[in-house]
Amino acid sequence: MSSNLAERWAELPDLLAGHMLLSLAAILVGLSISLPLGILAASRPRLAAVVLNAASVVQTIPGLALLALMVPLLGGMIGYAPAFLALMLYSILPILRNTIVGLQGLDPVVREAARGIGMTPREQLWQVELPLALPVIVAGLRTAVVWVVGAATLATPVGASSLGNYIFAGLQTRNWLSVLFGCLFAAGLAIALDQIIRLLEVAARDRRKGLAVGVGVALSALVVITIAPRYVPAAVFRGAGPVVAVQDGADTLADQTVVVGAKAFTEQYILGSLMQTRLEAAGARVERLDNLGSTIAFDALRTGEIDVYIDYTGTIWATVMNRPEPINRNAMLAEMTGWLYAEHGILALGGLGFENAYGFAMARDRAEALGVDSLADLAAHAERMSVGGDAEVFSRPEWVNTRDRYGLGAMQTRAMDAAFMYGAVRDGQVDMISAYTTDGRIAAFDLLVLADPLAVLPPYDAVILLSPDAAANPALVEALSGLIGAIDSEAMREANRLVDLDRQTPDQAAVWLSDQLSAGAGDNQ
Amino acid sequence: MSEVTSPVLEVRNVSKTYAGQVEAVRGVSLTVEKGQLLVLAGASGCGKTSLLKMINRLEEPSGGSIMFGGKDIAGEDAVALRRRIGWVMQGDGLFPHMSVRRNVGLIPVMAGQDAARVELRVREMLDMVRLDPHEFGDRMPGELSGGQRQRVGFARALAGRPELVLMDEPFSALDPITRDALQQDFRDLQGELGFAAVMVTHDMAEALIMADEVAVMRDGRIIQQGAPHTLMSAPADDYVSDLLETPRRQMRAIAELAQ
Repeated sequence: MSSNLAERWAELPDLLAGHMLLSLAAILVGLSISLPLGILAASRPRLAAVVLNAASVVQTIPGLALLALMVPLLGGMIGYAPAFLALMLYSILPILRNTIVGLQGLDPVVREAARGIGMTPREQLWQVELPLALPVIVAGLRTAVVWVVGAATLATPVGASSLGNYIFAGLQTRNWLSVLFGCLFAAGLAIALDQIIRLLEVAARDRRKGLAVGVGVALSALVVITIAPRYVPAAVFRGAGPVVAVQDGADTLADQTVVVGAKAFTEQYILGSLMQTRLEAAGARVERLDNLGSTIAFDALRTGEIDVYIDYTGTIWATVMNRPEPINRNAMLAEMTGWLYAEHGILALGGLGFENAYGFAMARDRAEALGVDSLADLAAHAERMSVGGDAEVFSRPEWVNTRDRYGLGAMQTRAMDAAFMYGAVRDGQVDMISAYTTDGRIAAFDLLVLADPLAVLPPYDAVILLSPDAAANPALVEALSGLIGAIDSEAMREANRLVDLDRQTPDQAAVWLSDQLSAGAGDNQ
Repeated sequence: MSEVTSPVLEVRNVSKTYAGQVEAVRGVSLTVEKGQLLVLAGASGCGKTSLLKMINRLEEPSGGSIMFGGKDIAGEDAVALRRRIGWVMQGDGLFPHMSVRRNVGLIPVMAGQDAARVELRVREMLDMVRLDPHEFGDRMPGELSGGQRQRVGFARALAGRPELVLMDEPFSALDPITRDALQQDFRDLQGELGFAAVMVTHDMAEALIMADEVAVMRDGRIIQQGAPHTLMSAPADDYVSDLLETPRRQMRAIAELAQ
């Protein structure tokens, strides 16, 4: 646990800086749009109705969806830009609404007095209307700050680093300390900014220069302390990562930066770390973008935002190529490879050697009690059964086809985070789950993956995908080609188990996996 | 002292029609001389407040013209015009987030005077309305009584040395004793400073006590204009008589008590 704590601390400067840069920029730009717009709209009822409705619509989009929508809107760009844009839009409504309400709610007598004594419209606004509406406007700003700092944790899946990295990675690897870290620091940051704004308002209202200066210093200090690490040599803060000597590469990638992407689950973190090690051994500087949403990772590769990541044939087949019916495993790999290259210039370097398929798993004792070992046996029990799965599986062809072909329509579906479903089926909270076949918990929890006699479930070979630019870089291809066909399902499952059950870090599991590979390579030669 | 001077304010055949509504003011003409107080009296909705607001261009007339200091105000900058005309409102119209000092100093500050001159002017004005500048200068309007707030309102209106002061029911929110004291003080101030004033009220007794000249309005028209004693002795019609009946009855009742 203490090494876990030390690693979380080591990540803090970078993540806190990312979170602060994102939130602060979003709020400042949001404020500079919504405040003038609110002032304009306050005296123009029709404009007020239009902008308030537009901002309300934005607000009803769930935060995660809004962030994810920005990626295709920006042509597949991931990272800071889409996260900033979404959060900035998110900050607009509370400030806009309170500016309009605050100004419209002013006593008409006071407005008329301002005109009557000969104030220009500008003087009326700055000397009378804004000061009197200030408490309401500041309340809106404070709401926006709390929302944005909270929602910035959702920037992780679109590739912007934030305190959400703690939460997403922690949830996937069941590292609750990490989740707690993310929550506590995000909440602390929100509270600190909220109180600073409150004190600034008090200082402005009571014209207390001393307080204003003090709070200004506190705010500057907070900003500098959180953001400074970004601009200080990273080595000062970084904990020592795993260093594995891989001797097969000369420094052919020297001075090149390679961005390695990963989706948001354990296996992806481990493989990302493994690829990072290989690339660094070849001399590259590696940046990691973990926790990318499933389709976001592909978009990012297509546009070259990331250079390489691991995806699965069945996923590309169904969600990128939009093919409804699965085909034979080798045929799928071949057809997908050709299609990706022809359509997008993306190179499928090859399979890693294992499949991480969707399979439907039950607790072994429960399955035996029902006399079930195949999906074909379930129809009779479907009415009394529930199936758990991650949010995406129930809308994917895997479930839809399984349900329709095996007659499971009566089964109750329960979506949950993938981190929880294995425990849920072990404890009988659901009867069946959509398991990933390489998950270490299948063996550890004594789960039975049901047979698929109709071959409804597509194959899911793990493949290394390279962006068009990366594909044209022979040194990069060379550095990663050692991984092709090198990892079998058993090794992957064990590496996953080390993280999910033994609480090792993905980096440690990657070291273990790398050792297995070199041992295996030695045997073969 | 018999030289002919043009009146401070001259309203010529002014009318006002609000979009889609009846005429609020219909062909009104009147003049106000230097140092004179003209009171516009009448029931609510008679058009007296609309007429007042056209004088400093808070509203624009639909017809006719208004001359201030011999010039048609339609050709003047509205903001500059309002700074030359004092404005006192029903209630007090003070800015609740500004101290008494800032409220009173607003017009000199807007006129670009330096801080020392503004401060001098603020003290002078507060003295004039009988508020101790040291005691009241830093207070906020919310910390003052109704009468004190209205005194600050007068100080603010007079700080720019206006030739004309417009007042919309300035005493209506005050208790009778405070009202009486302020009415007296206001006439004293006017005598001292010599500005012309137009006041709107629905209180006929107030109109008779304070005014040099009363204009009684009904349905947008002036139905009688004259000195208070003229109105009392020769009301133009039954409507004016009715309006005068309340102060008359009060006067009789008090006179009987005194006997």
